[in-house]
Parts: sequence; structure tokens; C-alpha cells
Amino acid sequence: MLVLEQIHTYYDRIHALKGVSLTVRQGEIVTLIGSNGAGKSTTLRAISGLIKPRLGRILLDGQPIDPLPAHAVMRLGISQSPEGRRIFARLTVEENLELGAFTRNDKPAIRADLERVLALFPRLRERLRQRGGTLSGGEQQMLAIGRALMSRPRLLLLDEPSMGLAPLLVEQIFRIVRSINEQGTTILLVEQNAHAALSIAHRAYVLETGTVVLEGPASEVLASSQVREAYLGG
Amino acid sequence: MNRIGMLAARHGLRTGALAFVLLTYLTLIGLPGRLADLAMPVLAGVVAIFFWLVLRRSPQLGGIYGSLGGTALWAGLLAGGFYAVLTAFFVGLLANGVRVQLVFDKIVPQNLAALYAVMPGVLLSGELSPVGWLRQVGLLGLAGVVAALLVAGERRLRRRQLPSLAALRWLPLLLPFVLLAAVIGLGSPAVTFGGNNQGTIRLLLAMLAVGSGIFAARAARPGGGRRVLWALLAAALVGLPFLLDQFQNSVMGIVFIFVMMGLGLNIVVGFAGLLDLGYVAFFSIGAYVYAFLAAPFSSPWLIAQLQGWGLPVSGPLVSFWLALPLTMVVAGLGGVLLGVPVLRLRGDYLAIVTLGFGEIIRLFMLNLSELTNGPRGLLNIAPPTVGGYSLGNPRDIFLLALAGAALIALVANRMDGSRLGRAWVAMREDEDVAQATGIHLVYTKLMAFAIGALFAGLAGQLYAARQTNIFPENFSLFVSIDALSLVIVGGMGSIPGVVLGALALKGLPEVLRGVDEYRIITFAALLVIMMIVRPQGILPSLRRGRELQEQGGSRADQPSVLEALPDSAGESSLAKKER
Repeated sequence: MLVLEQIHTYYDRIHALKGVSLTVRQGEIVTLIGSNGAGKSTTLRAISGLIKPRLGRILLDGQPIDPLPAHAVMRLGISQSPEGRRIFARLTVEENLELGAFTRNDKPAIRADLERVLALFPRLRERLRQRGGTLSGGEQQMLAIGRALMSRPRLLLLDEPSMGLAPLLVEQIFRIVRSINEQGTTILLVEQNAHAALSIAHRAYVLETGTVVLEGPASEVLASSQVREAYLGG
Repeated sequence: MNRIGMLAARHGLRTGALAFVLLTYLTLIGLPGRLADLAMPVLAGVVAIFFWLVLRRSPQLGGIYGSLGGTALWAGLLAGGFYAVLTAFFVGLLANGVRVQLVFDKIVPQNLAALYAVMPGVLLSGELSPVGWLRQVGLLGLAGVVAALLVAGERRLRRRQLPSLAALRWLPLLLPFVLLAAVIGLGSPAVTFGGNNQGTIRLLLAMLAVGSGIFAARAARPGGGRRVLWALLAAALVGLPFLLDQFQNSVMGIVFIFVMMGLGLNIVVGFAGLLDLGYVAFFSIGAYVYAFLAAPFSSPWLIAQLQGWGLPVSGPLVSFWLALPLTMVVAGLGGVLLGVPVLRLRGDYLAIVTLGFGEIIRLFMLNLSELTNGPRGLLNIAPPTVGGYSLGNPRDIFLLALAGAALIALVANRMDGSRLGRAWVAMREDEDVAQATGIHLVYTKLMAFAIGALFAGLAGQLYAARQTNIFPENFSLFVSIDALSLVIVGGMGSIPGVVLGALALKGLPEVLRGVDEYRIITFAALLVIMMIVRPQGILPSLRRGRELQEQGGSRADQPSVLEALPDSAGESSLAKKER
């Protein structure tokens, strides 16, 4: 479904991604793990069109999407829950979700998707008229994911959904991520919390200073000594 | 003393100090002397109203005043008392040989006496008698108490919604009509009031009628009643030009031309959140485009061209109405022209570039003298006509400005709720995420610039028709600042707010002409106070109000226990009901 071929990106003269290649197949949860500064978020930003790769190609269903601007990529069915959540803090929860469906015009279907999101995150239903900024961290994360789902994406990009959340909440969020996947949405999950990510993913890529150093089924990656030492505390 | 008592005390002291600064300032610029006999009642009223306004708006004290009348009284007493102490100290300084007069020549006994009207005898003798001092403390403390009682009473009333008093809610809605009746009354030769100032008073009343009408229509419950009020207000507005004389109409005309401009800028700044300091550029483009079309004989280059084509150069090329679409297109293109290079700029950088753009256009108009006739300007611009009848007099211009403003307000209102409006909100909040939600950033930004510019162009065309002669200096940076200020004062993102802002910023200074050389500084002081007391503007849009309140409310120095108190956000209770 999504293929990255030898992606190189730069921030000014800093070489951020040095030839990253990865594949996400229909229906999968693929996770991209690595430490701070490894290039995980940069990879997502490149996919969603917020930065342009200098070299390499990004293909969606065989079609190159790397030349497209972010709003056009989004219209092809790739939707992102950004790092640090970045919800519209001064708009209400409802307005946040509505903006997630900005590209769509079919009111009844939007209504149905709103119900679906609220069924996934019942907490959001209680908070519909509240300003986004007044939500707790976990609720904001739910809102960010919910907003991304409102465009009814085929591929959902999740950037560190566990960031800053209590372990119990992380578990809850990951359960929901899995059920979103089971309902048919393909997911590319970027995480620092390798253990949690590997426990729900089908396949994994390990990124280190801009290159993929390890890839394979999640269980294998979880078992590999390299990962155990680097990310799971031995 | 408990925590709430401490808060109330601190707040009371601060209010008293602010009142002292305000009134001393007014004395320094000689306002009391100007007001002569009216000074005592006016200034006493100013103090009382000031106390009331400050006490009632305090978000953290709002809840307290509602629940604890005693604390409110305590704060009010402190406010009044502290004010009295400060003034007494100030007067004491003056009486004991501190010569402020060297700088502030308006400090003369009669001014001071008027200012400290509550203790005139003390002042004139130059001595501070203990009795007089106590009397002042007492009187101002009383003023504070009255203000506090008002606040507390108001909140209780609102909380309990007493049925017998609910009917009183309709009283303020009558205000615009009362004021309008007064305007009509003052216009008839039978009524004389205020001597030479009758015309000014009438103008002030007319502006107050429009302003209070907008408040009333907003405050009314949604539904049939509000629609009727809006209709009556519209009818009153259409009637207003026929009630006013030439001068009054001409002031109102310029006010509403600024309303047109403000509504356009409100789209750029209020809706889309793009700070534009060079907005005058589009106003001047509109004015000049119309001037070229309506007075080609003023431009040497145009004369040469027209003669080259064998066309007559004596009259306008096209009528006002035909020029309208042309002006709009050119101004809109100007907006895109500015928009493209600044697409990637945000915040301060955007402000600086737009500032430069405004100046560039003005310098073009000044130096392209072949085309624009430079500083000598374009002269004898034709007024709009209908069937051979010229619409050049101030009354017609006011009517046209009203129509233009109404049209723009309608369009802007539709846009606010549209898809584009939502895209603007998202963009204002977070450009990256907006883009990732599928919003076409380039298109959305350019649309904001283009639509804003187009409205300014329209205003510019009407302005040129009103002035009949335009010069580059008509389009200085100050026009941009005026337009931006009126949007901010009115309440960013709020359409009725723009009208109120224009009335306050372009209308009031005309009324304030009595204060002559201190007009602008007085006005500046009013702006500063306004921004402290009510940063969200006179009549903020619902969402913007929320935004600013949140920022203010989360300041670290405000105790969190109080945020839980009911109705603590005093300003928004009206807005909440409206939703």
C-alpha cells in the first residue's frame, strides 16, 4: 500500500533521513521505533507531505505522492495524528472533530463517523462542548486520533501516541489503536515506547540516526538482542 | 483575614489607584476646565462608573461579589478610600510647592477644583484640612460601596432570574429608540439644549443610538424578537441620514467608510489571523483606480493616452457603478500580489512585510507623478450619480456607505460560517495541522488577503468619491493603524464589533473636538485603558472572546480555587446564553 524508497531529507544542511525504505501493507499495523532524533517523526512528516524528500520516492498504491503538498496527500486517504497531539486548543472538541472531516462533504456519513469516533472514545462524548485545551493529556491524545479518523483515512499515521501518558492510559490508547486496525484501517505507528508498540504491531522497523537498522515481524524484533539492549532495558 | 478577603482588598486598592491615575490624567490635560459647569457631575459619574466597570469585570472576584456582598463592600470601600488618600496626597504635594505646572500648564486651581469636586474648598485654600480630607475619603468610599453593591446586585439578579424583574431585561432594548427620539428632538428648532454644542451632542446621541442598538440586538434572545430588533435597527439606520445635518452626515459617512474597511481587515486579521499593518494599500488602490476612471483629466499620462486614442478627456470614463467591479478586481489582485510573497511568513514577520507594502504603495502614488499627479493629487473626482441626479452630498455618501457596509457585513457573516471560514479558524490556530487536515493553505491565505483587499478597495472608491480630491498623504500608515485599532477595539473577529469600533475610533474624536490639542492624547489614553480593562474588545466574537479569556484566565498569579466559583467569567455569561 505505502512504499518508501531510499528517502533522504535534510533540515538545512543536517542530513536527517539517510535512505529510509519501508513498506506498509494493507491492513497492517507497522511500527517505527527508535530513540530521540532517529528520524521517526521526520519519516512521518515526509509521508504526509509536510517536508519534501530531497532524494527517493514515496508511493501510495504505486503512485508517487512525494511531490504532492500536504493537503493533497491527505485527500488520498493518509491522515496523521501529529507528535505532541497539536489539537486546536481553543476550539471545542466537536469543532476539532469537524475540522478533521474538512475535506468531506457528505454530511450523513460525517455524522456516522463522528458516532464511530465517539464510540471508540466515550470520554470525548462527555467533553464535546469543552475546549480542546481543557482536556487531560490522554483525552487530548484521543481527540488527536479521533480527529485524524474523521477524514476516514485508509492509512493512519500515529506519531508517539504514548508520549507523556500514564502507563494505564498508554495501554488503553493502544487497545483502541488495535481495534481501529481491526475495523480495517492500516496504521503506521511511530513510537519511543518500543515495548508497547511491538506488542500490537504486525511488523516493525528500527530506526537509528536516519537509517533502518533492523526490520521484521514484531515478535522477532521484540526478541532481538539489539532491541532489547537499546530500548527495552536489557 | 482569609484568602478571599485578601484578594478583595488587593483588588479594591488597585481599583482606587487606577481611578486616581485616570482622573489625574484628565486634569493634567485640562478636561475639567473644558467641561466648566458640567465638570463636577461628569467627573463624579466617571469615578462611579469606573469603579463599577472595574469591579464587575474582575474574573476572580466575580464569583465572590455574587456570593458575598460583604466582601464586595469591603473592596468598594477600599477602592474609594485609597483613591481619596492618593488624591489628597497629590493635592498636598501641589499645595506644598511641587511645581508640576512647569510641564502641565493645565494645572490651575479651577481645573483641580473641578477634578476633586468632592472637596473643592480644601483645594482652593491650598491647605489640606483634616475635615475635608475625611469628607473626601468618606464620599469616595461611598462611591466604591455603591459600585460594589451594583455589582453584587447585578450578579444576584442574574443568578436567580427573578420573574418579576425579568421584564426589566427589555428596558435596555428601548435605549436606542430613546436616543433616536432625542436626536429627532434636538433637530427640531423648538428644542434648544447645550447652546453651541447642540450639534455635537446630537451627533454623539446618534452614534450612541447606533451603538446601543447593536448591543441591544445582540443581547436579545435569538429568535423572532431579535430579528424584529435588527429590522428596526436597520430602519433606524436608513432614516438617520435624513435626520442629521451636513456636518453630522459627513462624520457618519467617514465612520461607515471605515466600517467597510474594518470589516475587510476583520477578515484578514480577525478570521484568518494574519496581522496586516499595510492594509491602507488596498484602500488607496481602490481610491486611485476610481480616481483614474472618474477623473482621467488629472493624470498627465492618462491625458496623453486618451488624446492618442482620440478620446475626450473632459469627463469621467465610466460611471461610479461601472467602476465598482473594476476597483474590486484590481484591489483583490493587489491582495493576491501581497499575499504571494508573504505566504510563508507568520506573526511579527508578516506584520513587518505588510507594513512595508503599505508604504510602497503610498510612495508609488507619491512618485509616479506622470500617472498619479504626485503630491498634487487627483482632483475633481466625479460623485456617483443615479439618473442624472448626483449623489455627492454628505447625506448620500452616508447612505452609500451604509449600504456598502451592510452588504459587506452580510457577506462576511456568511463567510464566517462557511467552509472557508472554518479553514481560516484552523489556519489561525495551527498552520501545520490545518494543512494536515486537508486545508489548502495557499488558497486559504490568498482568499483572506484577496477578500479583505477587495472590501478595502470598495471603501477606497467611496472615499475618493466623498473627498472628490485625493492625495497620497490621505493614505498614510495612520489609516492602517486606525483600521486595525478599530478592529481590535471593537473585538477581533466580530462584525458588530467593527461598527462599534469605528464609532468609537472615528466618531468619538469628532465629538471630542472640544478638547482640542489634547484630543489625540486623550484618545490614546482611552485606548490604553480599554486594552487593560477589556482586551477582547467591546463586543468580541464568541470564539475570540473565549480565546482571550482563556489566556487571561490561566495566568499564574490568579488563584485556582476561584476558577471553580460559579459565573466567574463575568463577560461571557451573555455570550453563553446566546449560544
